[in-house]
Amino acid sequence: MGYLLFIVRSALEDFKRSKMQTFLTSLGIVIGVFAVIMLMALGLGLKRYISDQFEALGKNTLFVTPGQVLQGGGFGGAASVLGQRFDIKDLTNLSRVKGVVGLAPLSSKSGKAKGTVKTEYISIFFTSADFADIAGLTIDKGRFFDKTDIDKHAKVLVAGPKIAEKLFGSTINALDKRVSVDNVNFTIIGIIKSKGGGGLGGNDYDSYFFGPYTTGFIYDPQKQFIRFAIKTDPNIPLATVKAEINKVMLKRYKDDEFSLLEPTEILSVVNSIFNIMNIVLVAIASISLLVGGIGIMNIMYVTVSDKTREVGVRRALGARKNDILLQFIVESVALSIIGGALGLGLAFLGVLLVQGFFPAYIDVPSMVLALGVSSAIGIVFGVLPARKAANLEPVEAIRYE
Amino acid sequence: MIKLQNVSKSYRVDEDTIFYALKKVSLEIKETEFVSITGPSGSGKSTLMHLIGLLDKPSSGDVIIQGKKISQLSDDELSTLRNEFVGFVFQQFNLIPKLSVLENVLLPTVYARKKLNYDPEAKALELLTKFGLIEKKSSFPNKLSGGQQQRVAVLRALIMEPKLILADEPTGNLDSKSGHDIMKLLGELNRNEKITIVVVTHEADIAAYGKRVIKVKDGQVG
Ligand SMILES: Nc1ncnc2c1ncn2[C@@H]1O[C@H](COP(=O)(O)OP(=O)(O)O)[C@@H](O)[C@H]1O
Ligand SMILES: [Mg+2]
Repeated sequence: MGYLLFIVRSALEDFKRSKMQTFLTSLGIVIGVFAVIMLMALGLGLKRYISDQFEALGKNTLFVTPGQVLQGGGFGGAASVLGQRFDIKDLTNLSRVKGVVGLAPLSSKSGKAKGTVKTEYISIFFTSADFADIAGLTIDKGRFFDKTDIDKHAKVLVAGPKIAEKLFGSTINALDKRVSVDNVNFTIIGIIKSKGGGGLGGNDYDSYFFGPYTTGFIYDPQKQFIRFAIKTDPNIPLATVKAEINKVMLKRYKDDEFSLLEPTEILSVVNSIFNIMNIVLVAIASISLLVGGIGIMNIMYVTVSDKTREVGVRRALGARKNDILLQFIVESVALSIIGGALGLGLAFLGVLLVQGFFPAYIDVPSMVLALGVSSAIGIVFGVLPARKAANLEPVEAIRYE
Repeated sequence: MIKLQNVSKSYRVDEDTIFYALKKVSLEIKETEFVSITGPSGSGKSTLMHLIGLLDKPSSGDVIIQGKKISQLSDDELSTLRNEFVGFVFQQFNLIPKLSVLENVLLPTVYARKKLNYDPEAKALELLTKFGLIEKKSSFPNKLSGGQQQRVAVLRALIMEPKLILADEPTGNLDSKSGHDIMKLLGELNRNEKITIVVVTHEADIAAYGKRVIKVKDGQVG
């Protein structure tokens, strides 16, 4: 029987004897690893989800938003929260900028919508016909609203498939139906194909209604917009168009009252936010791991003291100090790896549970990290007790009662 | 084979008292001897045996094994000597409770640094067969009688083919019959395998198995 096998088997045999004690000892590690991996899974999932959404927007897209959105690498922008808005005049000005090939103003309305099956709280995006192209929406049934609808302030809506199903039972049932939102009656003229995702701020287009921005003014006498989405001419450098738009906006607003954003910029901000978040999460989870490690150190000291005479016997049979050291380190590593594996298993369960409504996922580096960190904890917190065992005087250990 | 020259072992009891467990002991154990060490409880027998077995170091004087002073050997070298040269048998058997009988017998070979010229497992099985314990090879020590446990301990001491077996009160926890069986077993090993045997005991009838008796009293050899 091999040397290592003998030692590992000895350690594991110990655990078989007291499953409960093993479990309780490694609980700190279980919780620590579960927390780290679960949080990382949620973060990774969210990050990938948002990235996918922005990548879908393509290269020639710009957003104009009120306030300073990307301040110091994070979402600052009190102005956007405080309700500064754009208006029709900005829309006209932007539409005249050379290189702007698509322009979608955005305002939104939330309210109670009455369908044939159910009444639900819904949100409507009031925008232009260009929005479908910019956001990458395609029509499944019926049609998208067009310039005529906008000119006529037509009370028409295009529905996302999810909300259509909710209100009317199925998308086909929703088409050409009437829906009233806060006492205004609309006709549903189209259903979009499921996109299964969200946009800026995590919008899930499948659950939205879309309508002509002119119609939206029914709810907003001030006729304002919360942002513009712009598609630029791919033949003109984006920087040129951006500079031009900046010039136009500066005529009416101060430098810090609006922001021009590219999806790639937003992505890098999202990335930096997630990186900071990860560091914070890991720091918090480290505390739990530290507590777990101390728990392991504690039980290992107990084990060493319980096995004092065994150490003496092994030394008498020829074990060297390093053999004893290794035996106890293997035992504490095994203990914490069991904890790490349980934590990882729990995290897998957790991810399975939330996957229905949250895009969490565990990647290979997370798994390697979980097992790596737990074995590192086993070594770090096992070394002191193991050294205590290794440095026992053989004769004292043999005499130990 | 092993010589003690003027060996003392002392413990500091408090600030200004030093207790001598052994005082200026000189003796030699020669190859193929069967020696009994006797004396009343607390006289220093175990202390003496631990020094002979390289588990302990003298406070003064020299322990010389195969011409080398152990004070000049490193901890690892002493471990290797214990592993290859000495086999221990204890009063409390001291089998490892979570290892099976076979694994207990094999344990010293796990710590061997030299290449063994035999297959450890085959040898362990052979020993277990020869001494009537083969049916117990997968049992754990707590399922064995005292006599069986002590026999397993003797086999564990034998597996490395040592020159010397040291037994500290090997019959102390056994009934009379099992005790005499163990002593007969040690006698056979001495006769047939030419293994040097040192048995520590305070019982006269056990000491009688030895061909030479060393009497210890108050830390001194008489
Ligand atoms: N670590 C120690 N510290 C102090 N006294 C000790 C220590 N080890 C042994 N002794 C003492 O040394 C004496 C001899 O002990 P020991 O060799 O075990 O005797 P025996 O085996 O003959 O009964 C005893 O009085 C014992 O209390
Ligand atoms: Mg004794």
